[in-house]
Amino acid sequence: MKQDMMAEKGNDKMLTVKELSVSYQKLRVVFDVSLEIHAGEVVVVVGRNGAGKTTLFRTIAGFLSQDKGSIFFKGQDIGSLPAHEVALLGLKYIQQDKHVFADLTVRENLELGSYATKDYDWDGVLELFPKLKTLMDRKGGNLSGGERQMLLISQSLLGKPDLVLMDEPTEGLAPHVITDLKSAFKKISQQTTLVMIEQNLPLTAEVADRVYAMKEGKIVAEVSHKQDIQELTFERYL
Amino acid sequence: MNKVFEYVRGPVVLVILIVIARFLFPHKMTFFFEISTFAIYIMANDILYGYMGMVSFGQPFYLGVGAYAAALYLAHVGHNPLVAMGLAILAGIVTGLILGPAFIRLRGDYYALINAATCAMGLFMVEKVMLPITRGDDGLWYRSRMHATPLLDLRHPNDVFWFTMIILVIVLILYTWLDRSTLGACFRAIKVNESKMKFLGYDTFKIRWIGYTLMCVLAALAGSMYAINYGFVNPSLTEPARAAEVLVATLLGGPGRIFGPFCGTAAFLGIKDLVSTLGEYKYLTFLARWELAVGILTIVVCFKFTGGVWGTVETLGAKLRAKTRKFTAETPS
Repeated sequence: MKQDMMAEKGNDKMLTVKELSVSYQKLRVVFDVSLEIHAGEVVVVVGRNGAGKTTLFRTIAGFLSQDKGSIFFKGQDIGSLPAHEVALLGLKYIQQDKHVFADLTVRENLELGSYATKDYDWDGVLELFPKLKTLMDRKGGNLSGGERQMLLISQSLLGKPDLVLMDEPTEGLAPHVITDLKSAFKKISQQTTLVMIEQNLPLTAEVADRVYAMKEGKIVAEVSHKQDIQELTFERYL
Repeated sequence: MNKVFEYVRGPVVLVILIVIARFLFPHKMTFFFEISTFAIYIMANDILYGYMGMVSFGQPFYLGVGAYAAALYLAHVGHNPLVAMGLAILAGIVTGLILGPAFIRLRGDYYALINAATCAMGLFMVEKVMLPITRGDDGLWYRSRMHATPLLDLRHPNDVFWFTMIILVIVLILYTWLDRSTLGACFRAIKVNESKMKFLGYDTFKIRWIGYTLMCVLAALAGSMYAINYGFVNPSLTEPARAAEVLVATLLGGPGRIFGPFCGTAAFLGIKDLVSTLGEYKYLTFLARWELAVGILTIVVCFKFTGGVWGTVETLGAKLRAKTRKFTAETPS
């Protein structure tokens, strides 16, 4: 199915970033970054801490404004749109911090995802993470790291976004949780385009169709050959 | 139907309790009126502080908007207290719509201080700038201009009490609905993680603006009820120093809880009343200043009972239910 999706939309540019530069006040952290994401792909951005990956994602998601460059999503210029409008266009961003709404129950957290997008069909996400069914009345603050990540992903998938940006979704999680998430990513990628920041290279090798390597605010390599992705090491590119 | 009952049950029980108390202590009717009106004022503050985490040091300004809108109408234009109340609500909406877009851009201490500044300016306006129509520190008197209203004559304290009970039950039902609605969840979610709300697709600016306007409307409503009940307003109602009372009552009751504002108000005004009464006795004159007792209680709440009175009641209730369940499970059938 994914192959069909990619074959059908292989040349469809889902996201195009051109010569994007971003600064925090006078400190520039992203320099002329360009990348293209096609429909149905799983793209992973790798890089050491401070390479500018999160800044790049937050800018694409509309939370930071760029100094220069352009961002096109499904052919529409989203460079000047605020975060909530970008999300409603179908580009969701899952932050690195794994913060759910701690005072709200799992059900209320999901409802917040539903109300924004008017998508009340939870079957898909609960099929992806059946464990959430048993946690519906538990407060978000009482969930484990893995459960919180499941909830965050589920919330973001409501509204059936075309592209999901995930910022280090497996950071700090136990190996068996990462295994569960890995299979979830594969299922999610059948329906939507995934762009992730990851430091976990074995996971990257398993799920990625393409990898961008970032160093000091710049894209220093684009790896698309499966063999090269599997041999990816920090030493080689970063 | 069950859902409607859930929303109505608590507010109706509470108002029935106030009515019973009013008959048990008939000489305390004004006190019960004050608790009810002040509770609406505290609910207004709780929307911003308890639900959305925005602390304001200028709440008396919003109370004053409603009080003076009603008072100016009754003193200079018309005679109908219900119209005065409607105008006060309208003034609250207009205030929220005009000031909201500017104020809610600010966060934390800046938001708190811009409200304090606005409150100080409001006081200056009614004391000095608008002196010809507000009569400054002398205040506005208009009871004799008020006409009778149908069903309940709002010129009489007894009828004002019943009218206040009706308003209180309506406000409490709406407040319960708000607490359990999507809007209420959005308010609480913004307090915890506003950027996450944006990434989910919510325009958090609009949500905060709605919250701010609701606060203005409720505070203005409370102000108009004061104005109608006493037939008099003066600038002391809008003094910035009185902002602390609002925050203390909100804290005492338990921020972000349906019955928190009412419990906070009852605790705050109750202690004031009790301590002032005790202070009249020969050896307890040192208690005549209620600020000492309220201050000590506030410190205790801040350190030990952050959920306030209602939060503590909820916690105890949950513990009791858990114990009862455990006892039932252990008891052989």
